[in-house]
Amino acid sequence: MKNIGGYIAVLSSVLAFLLAALVFIQLLDTGTALQEWTWLVIGSTQISFGTLLNPLNGLMLILVAFISLCIHIYSIGYMENDKRLTTFFAYLSLFTAAMLGLVLSPNLLQFYMFWELVGLGSFLLIGFYFYKNRAKQAAKKAFIMTRIGDMGLLIGLILIFWQTGSLQFEAIFTAISGGQVDGGMLTLIGILIFIGAIGKSGQFPLHTWLPDAMEGPTPVSALIHAATMVAAGVYLVAVMYPLYMASTTALIVVAVVGGFTAIYAATIGLVQNDIKQVLAYSTISQLGFMMLAMGTLGYTAGVFHLFTHAFFKALLFLAAGAVIHAVHTQNIKRMGGLHHRLKLTSITFAIGALAISGFPLFSGFFSKEEILSAVWADGQYGLWVIALIAAFLTSLYMFRLYFLVFHGESREPIDQVRPIPFMMKLPMVILTVFAVASGFFNTSWFGSFLGDWLLRESPALAETHHRSSVWVMVAATLVSLGGILLAYMIYIKKQMNQEAWKSSMAGTYNLLTRKYYIDEFYDASFVKGAGWLGRMFVYVERYGVGFLVSFFRELVTTLSKSGSKSQTGQTQTYTAVAFLGMVVFVAVYMMKGGF
Amino acid sequence: MGILTLLVFSPVIGILAFLFTRNSVDQQRTHVLALMASFVPLLLSILVFVQFQAGNSLTEQVSWITFQVVERTLILNYELAADGFSVVLILLTTVVSLLAILSARWLIDKDVKCFFILMFILEMGILGVFSADNLILFFVFFEITLIPMFFLIGKWGGTDREEAAFRYIIYNGLGSMLLLLAIAVIFVNAGNTNFSVVAEYFSRGEQEGLQLGIAITLLLAFGVKLPIFPLHSWMVKVHVHAPPALVMIHAGVLLKIGAYGLIKFGVAFFPEAFGKLAPVIAILGLINLLYGAFLAFVQDELRAVLAYSSISHMGLILLGVAALNEAGIQGAIFQAVSHGLISALFFLLVGILLVRTQTTRLERLSGLARLTPLLAGFFLAAALAGFGLPGMSGFVSEFTVFIGIFETMPVVGVIGTLGLIMTVVYFLRAILNMTFGSYRNTFGNLKDLNMDEGLSAATLLLCIIGIGVFPNSIALTIQQTLETILMGIGG
Repeated sequence: MKNIGGYIAVLSSVLAFLLAALVFIQLLDTGTALQEWTWLVIGSTQISFGTLLNPLNGLMLILVAFISLCIHIYSIGYMENDKRLTTFFAYLSLFTAAMLGLVLSPNLLQFYMFWELVGLGSFLLIGFYFYKNRAKQAAKKAFIMTRIGDMGLLIGLILIFWQTGSLQFEAIFTAISGGQVDGGMLTLIGILIFIGAIGKSGQFPLHTWLPDAMEGPTPVSALIHAATMVAAGVYLVAVMYPLYMASTTALIVVAVVGGFTAIYAATIGLVQNDIKQVLAYSTISQLGFMMLAMGTLGYTAGVFHLFTHAFFKALLFLAAGAVIHAVHTQNIKRMGGLHHRLKLTSITFAIGALAISGFPLFSGFFSKEEILSAVWADGQYGLWVIALIAAFLTSLYMFRLYFLVFHGESREPIDQVRPIPFMMKLPMVILTVFAVASGFFNTSWFGSFLGDWLLRESPALAETHHRSSVWVMVAATLVSLGGILLAYMIYIKKQMNQEAWKSSMAGTYNLLTRKYYIDEFYDASFVKGAGWLGRMFVYVERYGVGFLVSFFRELVTTLSKSGSKSQTGQTQTYTAVAFLGMVVFVAVYMMKGGF
Repeated sequence: MGILTLLVFSPVIGILAFLFTRNSVDQQRTHVLALMASFVPLLLSILVFVQFQAGNSLTEQVSWITFQVVERTLILNYELAADGFSVVLILLTTVVSLLAILSARWLIDKDVKCFFILMFILEMGILGVFSADNLILFFVFFEITLIPMFFLIGKWGGTDREEAAFRYIIYNGLGSMLLLLAIAVIFVNAGNTNFSVVAEYFSRGEQEGLQLGIAITLLLAFGVKLPIFPLHSWMVKVHVHAPPALVMIHAGVLLKIGAYGLIKFGVAFFPEAFGKLAPVIAILGLINLLYGAFLAFVQDELRAVLAYSSISHMGLILLGVAALNEAGIQGAIFQAVSHGLISALFFLLVGILLVRTQTTRLERLSGLARLTPLLAGFFLAAALAGFGLPGMSGFVSEFTVFIGIFETMPVVGVIGTLGLIMTVVYFLRAILNMTFGSYRNTFGNLKDLNMDEGLSAATLLLCIIGIGVFPNSIALTIQQTLETILMGIGG
């Protein structure tokens, strides 16, 4: 059988999903479960390794296993003709395993270890097409940018260790609630850990790797953007939430970075012409929403959005993958009118777009509405307005994408549209169901199952729970519909010239297409700077250290030359030296009385 | 005869075997003989390890020289002993030596017999260094390692081999001189150079000035070996121009003598003096870490990248020593072992690569993953280990060192994390340049790893992952040694 590696991987992810489901069902009855073994002894401290299950972990566990299963199945179809299919599935499974390990971690060190392994998985997958130069650069960039964030997490982790004497989550939180750590230190640690989350979740200013990560095969993008990797950052904040609740300043930092990233990425998403790039920026923006929620005491809202986003973002990427698979281009300016040729894809993509735009009754509607409520309830009105604008932009750029790809006329003749295999269609349909339905897990109408579940064992987080008000819902709905309507007017009805503003507002347009020149800035400052410093050290090496080399060489040669010169053969000289030596010895002896 | 003596002198079997065999026309036979002979120390070292774990004493003592100077008796015995730190390094030595001798068959083709004889002398010297229980014996074995290295570099090295050999001997000769000076001063003061006697003598806390003086001398002497900036230039030359099989031992084990000496004599004998020197050592560590990292970033020769990365990694050992607490010292020991394995793996791969491409210049290599995916994969794995991916030995040492340094000098720790970022940057730059990208067909139809290449690389990688996943295997072995050292520090 040709694709045996792929089927093994799919089977094992089926197994992972079944086990996750089993664990989840058990978790419904029992409480938090913890298992630990000693991993490393440092002096008198023991660092352990183990598994922890609580409501948040359980939810993530099943979410990760489910999304990963869908993507494994999809990849069988998408990658069927790739020679290195086995390698691909090995990487994919490693990636999933790392994320599952991260979710189950009972202590911060183990969390960090799997966190890095998740990074490795994404690095390998982004660089899967290793022979492409851009894939190489993108993989490298992803690893380095996230590593920068990771150092924040590492420092935070070590500080926690010295402040609380433990790395275990429970012990840390007990120490914090017991007031063992002073406020300034808590804020510092909170911000440092958040830097880790910034790197992983592609928040400003460490977001630049995420759009480049689109160089990987599309199923990978789906996995990175839906349930693994980027979700890990938001999940980290959720896991460490008791720490954040103890520091208002840290929370504000989280909220401001999240809110800014939400609108920042949305504006870039408006002008990108690569189908995957638009989706990438939409992920950054949505992650910003999640962080914003986390930062405004919307714990449930943030996790809820993480949950719904996993489904519709995976769906959108898989649908985009189907389009790319069919037409062999990623440029949306060369697509158009694909609705008739790719009916199923078009419908699923539309549903995904409606979900992310927050169209009423779709999953994104409920979670986004809850975020907006949380921001409002927390009194961050400025951020609330920003979030609302970002939500408007979201539906605008999503439907710009949808209309340009699936409607209108074909802009360029695409000679052959390949049929989409069943293995790809199946997960798309499954995810479509969830993209619609997953919102109903937590609504103000039918009951907040998800919220109750998350808060079941952590009553301390209960104060973060917000009831939504009707007018927030109305505002969210209006904004979402407005964006869709505007996109419809521009791209279908053509009542506005979509190209006109490129010349009338050339400066803004360039700023957006060039992504605010952040890449260029980093290149000119940090990348160039590191190279410059390295070359400066080369000079130090050549002249400074080189001088030392010749000094030692001279020293040794001079000494040996003078040594050989002293072999004069004259007995008088020898005797004189010997006598002198004896005088010195005797003098020492007299002065010190022995040694 | 005790097992340690057997172990230390077991390489003599190899030496004798080659002295009394004729130059074989069939080089294959010479290589097989060398390989077989190098299994003896390995098996003995495993036995030593087992004995140690079983809690048996590994001390051997034979009276050697006693002499009277004025009214003082100076005692010099032949005495060997092994604690947790030495046992781990002994095991590292035999494993790396075996693989180095195995890998010699791919690249060494002139005067093979002579090469192996020198390699065995070298191995004997290193084993002696790690088993010696007094300073004089330590010094004797230390010198024994010096001579064969000189000839091995000078004769079988690459383009600039003579310069490398001379630079090596000048720097290490000067280092030895300082070491001898320190040892002589210790000897006349303590009347004995047995480790425990010396430690006890100086623990009385007298002669503070003298102690500080000896500590500084030791820091300089071992600083050449480690190496510490700015005494490192010999080591870069050796890395680049010595034969890869030799560099496996050089980077893998020999440089670790620096760390071993610093911790076992420096910190353990003169804790207070080292306490005073700690800020200096920390700054030297930072310089090593960052200077090495930024230089590794701009090199265009893989072996030079690895050389500077060694300097950078040795910075972590210095940081651990500077921390002067449980975590720091433990981290430094872990780093010594871990870096030994990782650089051995790297230079094993360099050897494998050189057979195929005759060059390690980065600009000439590209897209190796296409034809030699296994080789490329091992290189990537070695790089991952190098920048401390969790699950590999490098992570444990990095993490423990940083836990240590953050307790005593958090600012140094924060600056040090910049080094950890740069490590990723330069390793990925170098390795991806070689393995990723398009293959330009410069070297024709490259063949991927064969059986013994793959097995030897896999052995090292397994050790690296083994320590990374079960770090307690090392931590528990060195625990007692660590406690002894820390007792002196008073922590």
